[in-house]
This record gives sequence, C-alpha cells and structure tokens, in this order.
Amino acid sequence: MTLFKKELLENWRNKKWIWVPLVIILLSIMDPITSYYLPQIIDSVGGLPEGSTLEMPEFAPPEVIMMSLSQLSSLGVLVLVLMSMGTIAGERKSGVTELILVKPVAYRNYITAKWVSLLMLVWISLFLGLLTSWYYINLLFGDLSFVELLQITFFYGLWLTLVVSLSIFYNALIKTPGLVAFLTILTIMVMSLINQVFNHVLEWFPNNLSSYILDMLMTDQLSTDLIATACVTMILSIALVVASIYTFRVKD
Amino acid sequence: MEAFNWGLIAPILVIQGILIIVAMIDLIRTDYTNGPKWLWVLIIIFVSTLGPILYFVLGRRQR
Amino acid sequence: MAFLTVQDLTKKYKNKTAVNNVSFEFKSGQCIALIGPNGAGKTTILRTLAGLLKPTTGSIEFANEKGNSDIRKFIGYLPQYPVFHYWMTGREFLVYSGELALLPKSEAKKRAESLLEKIGISKEARDERISRYSGGMKQRLGIAQAIIHKPKLLILDEPVSSLDPIGRREVLQLMEELKQEMSILFSTHILTDADEISDELLLLRQGEIVESGSMEELRIKYQTAKIEIEFERDIEAFAKKINDLPEVTASNIERNTLHVTASDIQLARQRILEAASNENWPLTSFNINRASLEDMFMKVVKD
Repeated sequence: MTLFKKELLENWRNKKWIWVPLVIILLSIMDPITSYYLPQIIDSVGGLPEGSTLEMPEFAPPEVIMMSLSQLSSLGVLVLVLMSMGTIAGERKSGVTELILVKPVAYRNYITAKWVSLLMLVWISLFLGLLTSWYYINLLFGDLSFVELLQITFFYGLWLTLVVSLSIFYNALIKTPGLVAFLTILTIMVMSLINQVFNHVLEWFPNNLSSYILDMLMTDQLSTDLIATACVTMILSIALVVASIYTFRVKD
Repeated sequence: MEAFNWGLIAPILVIQGILIIVAMIDLIRTDYTNGPKWLWVLIIIFVSTLGPILYFVLGRRQR
Repeated sequence: MAFLTVQDLTKKYKNKTAVNNVSFEFKSGQCIALIGPNGAGKTTILRTLAGLLKPTTGSIEFANEKGNSDIRKFIGYLPQYPVFHYWMTGREFLVYSGELALLPKSEAKKRAESLLEKIGISKEARDERISRYSGGMKQRLGIAQAIIHKPKLLILDEPVSSLDPIGRREVLQLMEELKQEMSILFSTHILTDADEISDELLLLRQGEIVESGSMEELRIKYQTAKIEIEFERDIEAFAKKINDLPEVTASNIERNTLHVTASDIQLARQRILEAASNENWPLTSFNINRASLEDMFMKVVKD
C-alpha cells in the first residue's frame, strides 16, 4: 500500500496524471472531428479537381468510435509504452531500488504496485478519451448508447492492460528503459503478425479484440468470441505479471 | 467557412494549450533535463501537440 | 554470544569468485570494519548480508531467528552511492522508508522528525526536494533512512570515502553515537577511519579474509619493531659494532639515523644500551618505533 501510494504521488508530481489523459483524449477525438470536417478541409485546400464529385461516405457511429480505437492502438499504445518504459527499469538503473529492496518489501508488492497504478492511469485516461469521443459522435454522427460506450471501454481496456503488462514484464527483466520500450513494441508487432498469419487458428488471440468489438456494435450482441478473447487477454496479462514477479525475484 | 463550428474545435485547442502550459511549468521548476532547457522550450512551444509529449517522455530525467 | 554468524560465504559470478569462503561472527553491539583494496569483495559481502544478493554457497544466520523469517527487518543498509527518489522531500523520503520498514505511519513520522533533527538537516531543508541536497546532506539522509526502523545491524558501504573532511567528521561522529544503539558493519579502504571507530577489523584480499582481530591484537602481531639511533659522530663505526650483535638482523644508515631491526627487540635494546653506557657512545637519540598500522595493512594486503 505504501508502495502504491508512492506511485500515485510520483505520477502526480511528474504530471503523468495530467498529460496522459489529455493526450489520450486528443487522440480519441482527432479522427471523429477531422472526418466530420473532411469536406470543408478538402475545400479549403483547393477543392477537388474539376469534374470529379466526392462521394462523402456517411460514417456510422460504430465506425467512428473504431477510428478512435485505431488511433489509440497505434499512437496511444506508443505513448503508453514510452510512458511506462522506466517505471522499474529506470529505478533499477539509477539504483533507488537498492534502498527500497533492503527494506522488508515483498517483491510481489513492488511489482503489483507499479502495475495497478499504471492500470489506474491507463483506464481512467481511456475512459475520459472515449467519453469525449462518444460525446462528439452523438453530436455529429448519431446515436451511440452509453452502455455501448462502457462495453467498448471495458473490452478495449483489456487490450491496453495487456500492453501495460508486457511493459512491466520487460521492465522486470531489463534495466535499460529504451530497450524495454523497444521490446514491448516489437512484441506487439510480432503478435499482430502472428495474428495475421495464423488468423484462422487463433480465433481468440488478443489482437482480435478490436474487430470483435466492432462486431458487437454492429450486431448488438456479445459474441462468445469476444468474451473468450477477453478472457484470454486477461489471463495473459496476469500471467505476465506473475512472470515479472518471478524474474524480478531470481535476479542474482 | 461559416460551417466551421469553433465550439467543436475549441476543446482541442484548449487541451493543446494546457499541455504546453503544464510542460512549461514543469520545465521551469525542474533542475535537470536531458539536453539544454532552451531547446525544450522551443520544442514545447513550436512543435504542436507532439512537443509537450516529447518533453514529458524524453526530456524529464528519469530518476 | 554471536548474534550474527556468517559461515563459508561464497559468491561466484560467471567467471570469477568475488567472495571466497568468508566466515566471521558478530557479537551484539560490535563495530566491525571491512578493509581491503578496491575489488576485494567488500561491497559484495555487504550486499549479500543486506539480502540484495544470494550467496552461491554458505549461510548467514541471525541468532534467535528461524531460518525463513525476513532478515531485512533487522538490517539497515546504506550503499556506497545512495540514490533517492529525488522528487521527494527529505522528510517524505524518511517517512516512506519508515513505512516500507513496516512502521505505522504516525510512528514513521515521529522517527523521521527526530532523525532529521539528529542528522542536522535544517528545518527549511527538510521540506525541500532531495535533488537540491548537498553530498554530505544526502549521505546523512542515507544513514537516517537506514536506521529509521532501529535495525539491530547497520551496514554501511564506504560511508565516508566520498565526503569532504567536514562531512567525514560529521558522519564519523554520527557513527560513534550509533555504536551505542546497534551493531555496525562498514567497509572502507581508509585505515584511519577503521582505526577510529571499529572494535574489530577484517582484512580482505581477493575475496578472502586474510587477517582479522582487534586493532590491538593486530598491532602486536605485526609489530616488527625498529630501533632508531642517532649519533653525534662516527655513525659508520658504531653501526658496524651494532651489526655484530647476535640479535640484530639488519641495520642501515639513513642520513644521521641508524635503523636497526632485531630478532628479539628487548634483548637488542639491552645490549645496545649496555654497550653505549660502557663505551660512552655519543648518542643523541634512541627510539623504538612500532610499525604503523599502515605498514601492517600494506604487508597483509600486498604480498
């Protein structure tokens, strides 16, 4: 608990509690707003060439919220990885852990305090981001129910949870923050590659969460695929944290 | 351009503004940065949105 | 009775042995200094005792403690280069350390306050970020965080070597006071520091204890006494006479002084003084010089 409170205080002092939510909000609303204004934007840069007519697609609300998610999946994930790359690795590199770990501190608590505090930051940011996106969508594109928003937040949050858990895992393994970020991103990229190649076999692979979320919005029902994938993602995250605690303990 | 509803765009600008201000305050109060402070001032102010994020991720010294 | 027993402690890294079969005992209230050149394995031993490293073989046992209880509760540790959470204030860091050491919050606050007083960090500095502290202040704060939970054993890695003379004085004084309350184990490569506050020395070379004992025991053991004699004149002639005495093993002249070493220093002294008084030698000074600890240190560590 002491360790957890310290993490919250630290993330407040280093302004993570301000900039991470703001950045996530920005990323979430960027695409909905630009697609709404796409005609005007094209106009203002000189319009379309003579004779061609622009068939403006009418975006359905689910498609727009998926735009938000795809922004978060690329830039958002990048930001989260960079933001979390030093949480343990940095402390070990600098040497503060020497003072912390000689106190009767359970390694388990040290790792989980980091994990939970990061998750709190990530989930709250995600909720705020999607909430603003939802507000714009209702204003500009049409109805998306609040329950749907909560469902999206929940299932997509699991994906980000996996990202954070991966980052924690590499943090416990390696002392160099930059390398932690690199390996986390690399792993995510390899996972999406595996997903593309073995898509037919790995139906419940975590990377499929987004597409199942879209299905859910289109069909208005929770598919077993979605729930199973969510479970797989959760189990993987927890396994990663357990593995982190273990690797952290056996050092030296 | 009358179709442009500034009320919709305003939040984006406000968020960018807050990011710049928070980054600047942090930069002024901190004792050490990676790289010269004046460079970060330029980055924060002139690189839109990305500037403050870059500062928070890379500029603050990890200790 | 020993309250800490270290038995055959060995720490191996991939290709080298940092600590080799080190055993020693710690009596309650003792202050032991680990002395040795850089790379002798001092830090490795201290870090192992503090629980930061696992020994490859060997055991560390506290009296009255069952095998698997967390010994970190009884230990305070200060690394050679302590690193803090620099975004915290000195006060915050001490309270945080106290809470990590399982003190209740109110108790941690009280201890922090009294320790800040004790280590002499000014009222204003207590609420300043640690990044603004000077080297001496950080070192003292480091000691304070190590003793916040009143450990039975305080482990300090080179506590004074990075400090200026004033800072050194302050920290040594603080250690002198702490000796009354707890056992202290510290490492140093400076003999005078060890000489000043420790009850017992462990001399380390290449991961092994090559010599140990109290300062006095070691002095006696390594005493290769020399007699230094000065003469008004004719030093060569007298040197020859002295050299002929059976007890004298060597002599040499440096400027006006004759340096004599002997197999039996008492007998040699008697013979020389007899001869001097019988033959009326023009002595100006007669001196028995005990080997300095420094010489002993070099002798043990270098050969």
